[in-house]
Amino acid sequence: MAAELVSRRYAVEDPADAVELCFDRGWTDGLPVVPPTEARVRAMLDAAGLSPEQEIAFITNRQVAVSAEKVAINAVMAGCKPEYMPVVVAAVEGLGDPRWGYHGPATSTGGAGVLMIVNGPVARALDFNCGDNLFGPGWRANATVGRAVRLVMRNAIGTLPGALDRGTFGHPGKYTYVIAENELESPWTPLHVERGFRPDQSTVTVMAAEAPHQVYNQLSSTASGILETMCDDMRVSGNVMGQPNYAVVIAGEHMRTIAASGWGKAEIRAFVFEHTKNSLAHLKRTHRLSGQVEPADETTLRPLLASPDDILVVAAGGRAGSFSVYIPGWASRRSSAAVTTLVQERRT
Amino acid sequence: MAQMEILDPTVEPRKQALTYVARPDSLAGKRIGLVENTKFNSDRLLLKIGEILKREYGAAETRMWRKHNAGVPAHAEIIEEAKRGVDVVVAGIGD
Repeated sequence: MAAELVSRRYAVEDPADAVELCFDRGWTDGLPVVPPTEARVRAMLDAAGLSPEQEIAFITNRQVAVSAEKVAINAVMAGCKPEYMPVVVAAVEGLGDPRWGYHGPATSTGGAGVLMIVNGPVARALDFNCGDNLFGPGWRANATVGRAVRLVMRNAIGTLPGALDRGTFGHPGKYTYVIAENELESPWTPLHVERGFRPDQSTVTVMAAEAPHQVYNQLSSTASGILETMCDDMRVSGNVMGQPNYAVVIAGEHMRTIAASGWGKAEIRAFVFEHTKNSLAHLKRTHRLSGQVEPADETTLRPLLASPDDILVVAAGGRAGSFSVYIPGWASRRSSAAVTTLVQERRT
Repeated sequence: MAQMEILDPTVEPRKQALTYVARPDSLAGKRIGLVENTKFNSDRLLLKIGEILKREYGAAETRMWRKHNAGVPAHAEIIEEAKRGVDVVVAGIGD
């Protein structure tokens, strides 16, 4: 017999009343939700092979254990298909990883969203968008998986805007912020393989992240030319002094140009690391670093990141258009590092 | 009559029992621990507070620890060393 669902039940007249009740109880992100009925919640759990009481994450600062049942309820509300549930679960596991450090990025005035990068066969099987309009609307998997994670943060963990989410601005990615890597057209090693997984495995990488910053270069026919433009923009982005992770998302035209120069992801990382350093003098003159400008500050360079390995390079975005994107991480890598978790069926 | 039921998506945090040790009647001769959270100026702020506690309240000494980062609680070494080495702790944030 299936394990009992322990969540409190609310009786309503019809689906429209259910939606209004969810608004009234403060359970939504401001948009209508799908009513989380027992049948829908059980379908979500069954699709991932999970028992309702299984713990998916424990958030130490909040002393909150997030059960599979609560993840499933929020995934239903977000509009997920049951087959998306293993991806939602993997992302929530990532948020519970001490390296991600939930309290900081979820709470901070810095207003980070949770960028989720899906890799492996599941990205194709579930039709996660990796192409045109990458960060935009129109794909159910991207839209609802990210929304489900945000609803788990809100409802299960208590990350309420204005209370325990004190983002000064936040950004639209806090509704949903999910992309897949375009592994079929990419000339490069997929992100999850670089991070220790097999190509035939599926993963979600979660990174506490600002909004995407778009960079335009229609002139260069070389990798270094394109990346010089990106670095010039990126050098003073984000926290500047924080040394966090960055994601660099390279779309079709730039991807082909960079690959034609014979560059892989390691070369991209090395170049970006070297070309995003700031002089201490510049950081002091622009009030990012305290103190008087000393003569040596003109030639002393401070890297934007602690290591080239802190740059996540992802091949994704539309085939047409001479654009790429970089995404600053939140705070510092010491405070929150990107975490990659395996998408798996738990059925035993 | 109700036609359908929906499930509550929220979680009640676990209750934690917190107790405070008795506050000292006086800081005279007490050893003061300062725990800074790594944010800009938090060390300077706490050092000033430490100086005031010594100068105006007769505290014997101060010692400072630095957390790993602002988003986490003080780590175990801080807690253990503070238990052994100081009588009072001041934790502060700067930004």
